[in-house]
Amino acid sequence: MTIVFLKLSTNMKVWLAAALLIFSVSSCNKQLDLKSSHQADEAGHWTTYEDARSGLIGFYGLFRAAVADNNAHWLWGELRDGDFVSVSRPDLKAVVEGNLNASFPLIQSITDWRRFYAVINACNLFIERDSGCLADKRYTDSYYKLDIAQARAVRAFAYFYMVRIWGDVPLITKSNDGGNFDALTRTNRDVVLSFAEQELIAAAPNLPYLYSGDDPDQLFPANYYGATQDTWLNTPLTKLAAYALLAHIAAWQGRYIDVAVYAGYIVNNAQKSNLALVDVNTLVDPNGLFLAGNGNYDQLIGFNFIKSNGETSTSGHIEQLTLASTTLFPMSKQLPDIYVPKDSIAHIFPTSNGIDQRFGVDTNTNANLNYTTYFENYSAAIPVFKKIRIVDGGSNSGQFAVYNSSIIFTRLEEIKLLYAESLAALGQVDQAAQQLNNVRNNRGINSVIPGPNVNLIDEIFAERRRELMGEGWRWYDLVRYNKLKRNNAAFDDLIDKGGIYWPIAQSVMNSNPNIVQNAYWQ
Amino acid sequence: MINLFTLKNVLKRLLLILVIFYSPHLWAQSDSLNKEEQKDTIIAVGTDGVNVEVLSPKFNHVLNSVQENYINSQPYISLQQMLKGNVAGVYVQEPSGEPGSAQNIFVHGISAPLLNKQALFDDQAAVYLNGIPLSMDNPFAYDIQKYDFNRIGPATNLLAAIDPNNVQSIEVIKDPLALASLGPVAANGAIWVTTKNAHAGYREISFNSYYGFVQTPRVTSVNAAYENNFRKPFYDKYATDNDRINYPAFLRDSTNVDYYGPANWTDLYFKNSSTYTTSLSLTGGTDRANFRFFAANTQNNGNADNTGIDRYTGSFFINVAPVKWLMVSSMMTYNRLDRTRNRNIRDRLAEERYIPDLTNPLTPNKSLYSSYLDEFGKAIDQNTSNIIQGYVAVSANLKKFTYQGRIGFDYNEGIRNTFWPVTLLEGNNFVSNYFGYNQRLVISNSVGYEFDLGNKQKISLKAGQNFMADVNEYDYIYAYNSPNDFIKTVVVSGDPNSSAYLQPIGFTPYYFPDKMQSRLASFSGTATYSYNDVLHISALVRRDGSSNMQPDNRWFTSYSGGANWDLRQTFLKFSPKISTLSLNASWARIGKLLSNDRFSAGPQYQVDMGWSNEPTIGSYAGIPGISRPYTNGWVGYGIPWSYSDQLNVGLKIGVLNDRLKLGLDVYNKDDKQMLLSVPVAEEWGYTGAYKSGMAVNNKGVDVSVLADVIPESSNGLSWALSANLNYNKNTLKALPGGLKELILGTTKLVVGEPIDAFWVLKNNGIYNTDAEVPVNPTTNQKLSFQGVPLHAGDPRWSDINGDYVINDKDKVLKGNYIPKVTGGFGSTLGYKSFSVDFQFYFALSRQVLDQYASSRLDFINTEANNNINSVKEITFWQKKEDLSTYPVYNPWSAVVPYRVEQDIFLQNASFLKLRTLSVNYDLIGGLKKGKSKTFRSFVLYLTATNIFTITSFKGDDPELTNYNGIYDGYGLPIPRSLIIGVRVKL
Repeated sequence: MTIVFLKLSTNMKVWLAAALLIFSVSSCNKQLDLKSSHQADEAGHWTTYEDARSGLIGFYGLFRAAVADNNAHWLWGELRDGDFVSVSRPDLKAVVEGNLNASFPLIQSITDWRRFYAVINACNLFIERDSGCLADKRYTDSYYKLDIAQARAVRAFAYFYMVRIWGDVPLITKSNDGGNFDALTRTNRDVVLSFAEQELIAAAPNLPYLYSGDDPDQLFPANYYGATQDTWLNTPLTKLAAYALLAHIAAWQGRYIDVAVYAGYIVNNAQKSNLALVDVNTLVDPNGLFLAGNGNYDQLIGFNFIKSNGETSTSGHIEQLTLASTTLFPMSKQLPDIYVPKDSIAHIFPTSNGIDQRFGVDTNTNANLNYTTYFENYSAAIPVFKKIRIVDGGSNSGQFAVYNSSIIFTRLEEIKLLYAESLAALGQVDQAAQQLNNVRNNRGINSVIPGPNVNLIDEIFAERRRELMGEGWRWYDLVRYNKLKRNNAAFDDLIDKGGIYWPIAQSVMNSNPNIVQNAYWQ
Repeated sequence: MINLFTLKNVLKRLLLILVIFYSPHLWAQSDSLNKEEQKDTIIAVGTDGVNVEVLSPKFNHVLNSVQENYINSQPYISLQQMLKGNVAGVYVQEPSGEPGSAQNIFVHGISAPLLNKQALFDDQAAVYLNGIPLSMDNPFAYDIQKYDFNRIGPATNLLAAIDPNNVQSIEVIKDPLALASLGPVAANGAIWVTTKNAHAGYREISFNSYYGFVQTPRVTSVNAAYENNFRKPFYDKYATDNDRINYPAFLRDSTNVDYYGPANWTDLYFKNSSTYTTSLSLTGGTDRANFRFFAANTQNNGNADNTGIDRYTGSFFINVAPVKWLMVSSMMTYNRLDRTRNRNIRDRLAEERYIPDLTNPLTPNKSLYSSYLDEFGKAIDQNTSNIIQGYVAVSANLKKFTYQGRIGFDYNEGIRNTFWPVTLLEGNNFVSNYFGYNQRLVISNSVGYEFDLGNKQKISLKAGQNFMADVNEYDYIYAYNSPNDFIKTVVVSGDPNSSAYLQPIGFTPYYFPDKMQSRLASFSGTATYSYNDVLHISALVRRDGSSNMQPDNRWFTSYSGGANWDLRQTFLKFSPKISTLSLNASWARIGKLLSNDRFSAGPQYQVDMGWSNEPTIGSYAGIPGISRPYTNGWVGYGIPWSYSDQLNVGLKIGVLNDRLKLGLDVYNKDDKQMLLSVPVAEEWGYTGAYKSGMAVNNKGVDVSVLADVIPESSNGLSWALSANLNYNKNTLKALPGGLKELILGTTKLVVGEPIDAFWVLKNNGIYNTDAEVPVNPTTNQKLSFQGVPLHAGDPRWSDINGDYVINDKDKVLKGNYIPKVTGGFGSTLGYKSFSVDFQFYFALSRQVLDQYASSRLDFINTEANNNINSVKEITFWQKKEDLSTYPVYNPWSAVVPYRVEQDIFLQNASFLKLRTLSVNYDLIGGLKKGKSKTFRSFVLYLTATNIFTITSFKGDDPELTNYNGIYDGYGLPIPRSLIIGVRVKL
């Protein structure tokens, strides 16, 4: 070794050159071409089966984020003028009382519609670009048709959801991908809804009753994206989901003939999507209706948060607002953020209905409170609403307050009651009562017998109030009810002046000067 | 090619080169070199293989360097602390006195608004250790965090790894031409740290050690009675019956001694604690081959919450001159930092990503607080950083031809293990593990040639190449609820035949790996003309290519130039008093780097399914999905390099043989074409779109003075003064797309206004009655806050635009969080073997927004929300600020009267601090110089730091403010310390 070195040291210049060679590096452009490991580049995207799948899942995920963020699904739908009141949070109190322009950060945040437009942009982009994926042989035409139908249905759903909240919203049907961010104006709500309706009508035939389901005509991909029917359940939008949305759009516009057609279709074809009415135990069980997976087909339209998929979260669940410690279910949170006062509970669940399995007083056992399915801590000043209580994957402990309950937009009971509502509105009293009683009997309460002294519409909405409590329907139900009835001057005023809509966040108007605040909130 | 840059390969190569170079010479030491070589006068001196273009006179270095006596006799742990107040134009933020926590360095202001941690990272000056640009923790890890208080991992200040006793000099490079020669990394200025190096001569040993303690601060602790009294006026004035029912449980019962008892928690929270260092260095070798070895251990402790940092350093330097014209130097340094972090509940919950019920805070009572602290006995919170830096540099000097080459690297890794038992998180335990590293490899070569043109004229030409490859990577995993507190690791099923193979048993971990790579290739050429050492003119051209730029904009060419004119030589050659007078001007254009790789590909798809506080959910129905980056913002094509145009004109004056040195620099810095996420119409789904075109101007003056008022003389008395001052002003010059103003969350940027202003409502008091609220005469509607009518008990906010609605349009830009004036001054007074020095530090014309007061006064909303901002630390029971000076508004009002963005919470945070006072005694001098043969020097010193602060700020310390000027009361106190030390040279 030493000899080698000595030899080298006699010839310094040579190995200086060698050292130089080691040091110097070809700093060519190639060295500077690095691919980022945490994003997918534009180049080569939309060419494979996987690209289509991740884009499809992308817009569903964005939709979940839009309704989960700040528990907005309930703030929009459940709280305003609803049955819940705030224990001590001033921001929730403002929502409950309809002071929607109060300047709490929470309200600023939930009046911002950006997340819905992210869904819409993702759908638009998907519709425009997905055909590229056909280059991949695995991505067959049936995949393509089905995926496009979903994108169109999800986009229509997003528009319908927004119109219910803000009324007129800009209607955008192209992605404008490439960075041209025009400042659009708001489109009339009826135009937006009729667009949504047309889209759903177009999409519905291309949507299956069940994904990876039994399909003798081979219209739909078998083993859709490598997952079985039991994995998909009713997670992506099905044909019946599209009809459910159509029914609701029609109902929101007061076109009850259409509602009856669409809702009736769902009721008659429910079993094709494995939909059924659930009993009260399933409704409130931690492993029941609200927990997705495990053969639960009953979430007709729902956004799930499955623990085993790592999708557990703290926000995006009504539990974050309603749960607190009870004797049966100790938690560290002592008081909930919102609760239904006892007077309201008593009013909503009248004993005259008979024994309501959801909540009631069993007269046979010394007037003891017997059913604590919906509420616990009824003896305390602030009862706890526990109808939906899926803590940490449905464990029976409230110690680790993270949640997995799905955000259910609609289920068969809801559709049946909507069907009943439409039939009642159309004067088909007996059929309406039949649908209503179907739901009522399933909860153990007496049937409503139509008669001159029975206000069927009131009964239907009262049942919706009971059955769908905590599912984000109350405010929209009130709007439809008052549109039907028009017997509440204050509410009629809200309807006529656009006060049923929410104000638009300042941040939206800051970034687009063409957006004008809803007149009622100006 | 790629694996050429892996660390392993580099180390192998380094080792090989080391062996080749050193083998014959180090081995030859004992035998001595051959006779011919011994006759050579060449002496091996250290080279770091890099050349910084400097045209200024010699004492420019001194003026822009931290004085040596400040470096090595003060108990500071980080480079930032050593810099603070010592060089004109450098502003150091120390948001917490917690040892080893993050601190920030800005040179000549900020080049972009500090909107987030990413911007904070991008705006700071680069630090070079012996010419190696140090690699810092990249902020990309914040992407997976719910809260950005601290970066995941140890979050240790990597510049706490530089041991002051290993440092020869710390210079701040601000000269545009010098920065241009360093390239894009140095666009925000450079901190040039040079370590002590090996040198020839008889073996030298130096030993430095100090021991001291940090003092418990004086604080006012309070109990629930204080809080109860504080709230009483609000309840008396505004509360409804329902509000009274909701009175917080912990205040409700005045007989509850837990809360109403003695507030003696401070005994456990604040402690006098020790701080010490020991270091030893050994230098030796021959003229032709010499070495230096350095080892040190430092323990630096805070005075609060049992915080501290422990540092171990080992460094080794070798210089060899194998032949006359060749110099080879190498360095290898290793540091280990172990940090004991605070036990703040907020920081812990931020890591745990779980907000428990926060209704009942910790008690001010010692006994209960101590049982809480005992639970930390079961916890694990290990934070270790290992930092290795090294290089081999070659410099060859063949008459007029010079060559410099270097291969250097900086590798630092952070490891954090946490475990918190069930008792600390409402019955759930939490475990996490982080391993991350930043790796930087730098290879540079330059050649130079000097032409002698005759007539005292010279031209030197230089060509250089530089290649830098960075890798930032981390793996982070966390999980809740292990089967019990004794199981702290994830156990996976080990049976490969089982369907649950490698599935964790007992609990579900969440795993986040991420990696980012970037490279920078540069070529540069310099030409310098000099005339008789009177006039130097230099021009530089460089071309930089960054992997983080898009392919069509990958390369950036820039030109710089400068001149230095020795006025004394020209005009005052025979002046007896003026010893130096030179004028220097330089201008440079320097490209600026993007620190994230997400822009290089243009339009992209990312996982974007999360929502507020749930940023990491990446799948739906268990299937991963991606979409356009709606939350992060649209990235398009055609992003050009942003760059910084810098101009500096400086005058250096030396009087009386340079006894008085004065530096006066005027600078103008324009950072242009910067990328900013600009809000776009939300109807396209994006929070914003990245657009280039932001331009920011910083202009200012640096003044530095060093004066030997009384030079050391026979009577033993000496007196030296030093002072530095910077005035800096920033202005937003342009926004992308020609916009004139832009609102980004709570920040408003207006062209022509400062970028660090607060955007606030003007507060003029209170409406005592409803009748006082003005009514719009045209609509008959009362003045409203965004549509909510104002009432009695609401603030009297100015309706600037007179539309009877208070909203964003009525907010004004006020104040600035980066001080306009910063500086320091000090003095050293010596008498014989004694010397006393002191050092003041100040920052003037600076405001902070007092979020602490806002959230304490807004207790109704703060408590009701039960979010991360509702957390009450044990310091809730400390009176940090007198809140009785604020008006009593209705805290239940829907207008949120105590919202932070109003000028009553804007406070003047100018301050002057006596940072250190130090007494030195030179024992050898006392024994009459030169009499001792064993000791070359033997100095005893006594230093006190952080002695007093003069400020009108109402909170505890105006320095303890977040980077963006928000004072939230979370900073741990910067302790006062007192040390006694000894510095021995043998």
